[in-house]
Amino acid sequence: MRIDPLLKVLRSAEPGGAGIRAWSVYVTQGRRLSLGTKDCETGSAHTPLTFSESLDASYLLVWKDGRISRGLLEKRQIVRDAEEALALARTSAYDDPDAAQVRGPARFPEIALLDASVTTTIDGDIGPVERRLEAIRERLLDNGFRIWSGSFSFNDAQARLVTSRGLDAEGVGSTAGWYVSFEGEFGDGFRARAPDSYREFEERLDRLAETVRLLKKDVPPLPGGVCPVILHPHVVEDFVMGTILHNLDGASVAHGEGFFKKEQFASQHQALREDLTLRLDPLQPLKSGSYRFTTEGVPATPCTYIHRGRLVSPILDLKYAKRLGLEPSSVPYSMDTLELEASGTLSSEEAYEIASGGALVLSVLGVHTQDPSSGDFSLAAPQTLKLGPAGPEGRIKTTISGNLFEVLRSDALRLVRFEGEHTPALLFPCRLDPS
Amino acid sequence: MLTELGSAMVRHARADGVMLVWRAQVRSVRRVLVREGRPEDTSFSSSSGHGIQIFTSEGRTALASRDDFEPEPALALLRRVTATAKGPNSLGLRSAHVPELTPQVARAVPESVAAFENIDLAEVAQRLVELEQEIVRQVPGVNLRIAFQADLDAWRIFRSDGTDVLFAMPRCSLRLGATSRGASTPHTVRAAVPGPDPGLPWDDGKVNRFLCRGLRAARLARDLVAAPPHPAGSFPLVIDYALAKGLAHEAFGHASETDQYRSSVLARNGKFRKGDLVGAPHASIVDEAVTGDHAWQPFSSNGVRRERTMIVDHGRLVNGLSDPWSAGPGGVALSGAARAESFKNAPLPRMSNIRIEVDDPLAAPGQFEEYGPEEVRDLLTSAGVLKRHREVVFLSGYSGGQVNTARGDFVFHCKAIYRLSSDGIHLHKPAIFSGSMFGALGAIREAFGPLLLDALGTCGKWGQSVPSSGGSHFFLVLEPDPTVRLGGA
Repeated sequence: MRIDPLLKVLRSAEPGGAGIRAWSVYVTQGRRLSLGTKDCETGSAHTPLTFSESLDASYLLVWKDGRISRGLLEKRQIVRDAEEALALARTSAYDDPDAAQVRGPARFPEIALLDASVTTTIDGDIGPVERRLEAIRERLLDNGFRIWSGSFSFNDAQARLVTSRGLDAEGVGSTAGWYVSFEGEFGDGFRARAPDSYREFEERLDRLAETVRLLKKDVPPLPGGVCPVILHPHVVEDFVMGTILHNLDGASVAHGEGFFKKEQFASQHQALREDLTLRLDPLQPLKSGSYRFTTEGVPATPCTYIHRGRLVSPILDLKYAKRLGLEPSSVPYSMDTLELEASGTLSSEEAYEIASGGALVLSVLGVHTQDPSSGDFSLAAPQTLKLGPAGPEGRIKTTISGNLFEVLRSDALRLVRFEGEHTPALLFPCRLDPS
Repeated sequence: MLTELGSAMVRHARADGVMLVWRAQVRSVRRVLVREGRPEDTSFSSSSGHGIQIFTSEGRTALASRDDFEPEPALALLRRVTATAKGPNSLGLRSAHVPELTPQVARAVPESVAAFENIDLAEVAQRLVELEQEIVRQVPGVNLRIAFQADLDAWRIFRSDGTDVLFAMPRCSLRLGATSRGASTPHTVRAAVPGPDPGLPWDDGKVNRFLCRGLRAARLARDLVAAPPHPAGSFPLVIDYALAKGLAHEAFGHASETDQYRSSVLARNGKFRKGDLVGAPHASIVDEAVTGDHAWQPFSSNGVRRERTMIVDHGRLVNGLSDPWSAGPGGVALSGAARAESFKNAPLPRMSNIRIEVDDPLAAPGQFEEYGPEEVRDLLTSAGVLKRHREVVFLSGYSGGQVNTARGDFVFHCKAIYRLSSDGIHLHKPAIFSGSMFGALGAIREAFGPLLLDALGTCGKWGQSVPSSGGSHFFLVLEPDPTVRLGGA
């Protein structure tokens, strides 16, 4: 990576007459290849085969007067106009003593984050994509579906973190992902640092096709009221985990903007049911959420946010760790390294039996419209399957409502394992209304 | 520099016999965030680069991008992307008709662009602290976060047919989030005011509007703590202009975008259902780039002038939001609606400022901010709505939405629900408003007040975030419809 011009300027700069006391830059150089399909048209003007390459950096400057500047540098500023960029950064300097932290050398874990096949694909070997496109088109015909949409993407990148305190670490990584939806209704996909195997791909595609077939069959609605509801793992990731993580965010906690309060972490407050644990393991090879160090230089380590229902640690960067008087934590970058655990997890078959007369909510509309700080939810769930004695019967359109934190404290809550899904589903009694 | 590079790219594309759309973008974003009386984040970021989209004579396309304007690598990338587009089609890629377009040479750079060079973020931070203090003084007991953002997004589009279009989009905003403090279940309510000029925090008119909206949000966050949930069902409703924007955007806007006519509920066999009755005969939906608006974009990311588009005219479908590649196949006029978040992205037909217009709106004097639930109830009483219905449910404030364009299902969320009747006014927690887009547009009966079009949003279609905006008359009354429901709890 061509970052020497930037480093040279950082080591000697006196922009605007103000010297730099400490600095940190995290530089990323990446490539991306992607291909989309919309309504069966692959590689159209709206979804073309796309290749991009980029170089950028995030920076923290601590000036001699104690003020700081933060932001992003673009390629031009890294390789040519660093002096001008730092002068501009000086004009946005502000007082934030908690954020004025630059890390020194540390030992970082060694983890496999790069898969060579991803690099090969970006270099032009698109054979694996051809085979998978063929498989999708076959499923479309075999199931009598009319349309499909989706995408494939491949990224590889190098990163380098350099600080004025002598930290100089490098890393490489890749991601490969795909997503397919049939009939504009329901979709599924996979993302990790290496592609899933072709067998796993086909199995996921077949499960998706089976679900869409069920969605095409309308059945009489359930009456409004409280009934057993299973939130599919996709809904748990999107809504449940998203809400919990928002409220664990250090800034939300420190500023009193979240459901969890800072004093509750100090007292290890019993916030959720006593067997629920939420932990992060970012050291697993080739997982999407695995990494070696954060952009600030905090080494990745396994950590627990909630242990047996008790609050242990918010998600803390250097600034909010200092503000709250705690250690910085590892950061959840993706759901596949987060573990939500409870005692007595059910299989999907067991859950269907218990939830007979209720519903399986496959997706919800409007997650981003909810107020995560309250945990109150009121969500439209047009892709819901009614559950009968033999399992899913067909589609009903519903809305679900309640308070997520009450659900997570409820004795009636059960975790459910679905085939091929990392995150568990949730089964609980829920207010459900037809729509 | 861009003129030379763009011209060179065009020369090489013509020599290779391909159609080129070359998009150069330079963007800068300045942000200040204030919490609890001090700046918590201040940043300046910039990005620039160019995207090369090639169309072969067979209608195949490919896109490549670099985040610099170095001539040699740019030309090398052009050669690579041309070879890719012309190469063997082992992926079964779509071949499309390459349309004949009218070359366009134009400039659109608003005056306020010059002021972006002189933004003093320290002064902005100080000003935000003053605004925060003003709100906290009047509504103690809430946590506030107040942010200013100044985003200058400049594009230059060259096409191999001689098009050379330059435009710059200045977008500034003041935003507030208010969270009730000390409650067992906190609530957060947001408010915003946009403007094209970076002097926004010192613009008296805009600041007064921001303070009015901010104070109302702070009071609502505090009051929602004790508010009960509202039961589910279909009710006579009043929605404000921001929710009406949500309805227009989520329900009709997305479904009218021509890139999805093989699955959209507003199309049949890939063609727009022009002439079909989809709403009340006195209601229309219009999209256009409004000068000075947050989502203003005068030209598409393909270099086509953006046209005013009447999507629904008095209840009937008229036209869709289109780009050169999907207008003809979709059976609609070319409206120049393609927008892209970045030079790295392929442009998609998108909304700009979308609104619902109703014939013969009833009067609502004064400013929108002067209308609380009591004043809305007075409007309904004077118009006879509360004679027609014993109780009307008032949905206030827009918190975002989503749509399934294949079925026409939409959802959006409000900030608060008020039950209005001659006996009293009762506040309830917000709930999802969902249903059939046809049912909702057909249910519109009265409108109150002039058009107000500054409801802000960010549209995330296909993973690209672009600003959106719109509105309607101050308030719309919707008759109860079984396909349109308030979600409950």
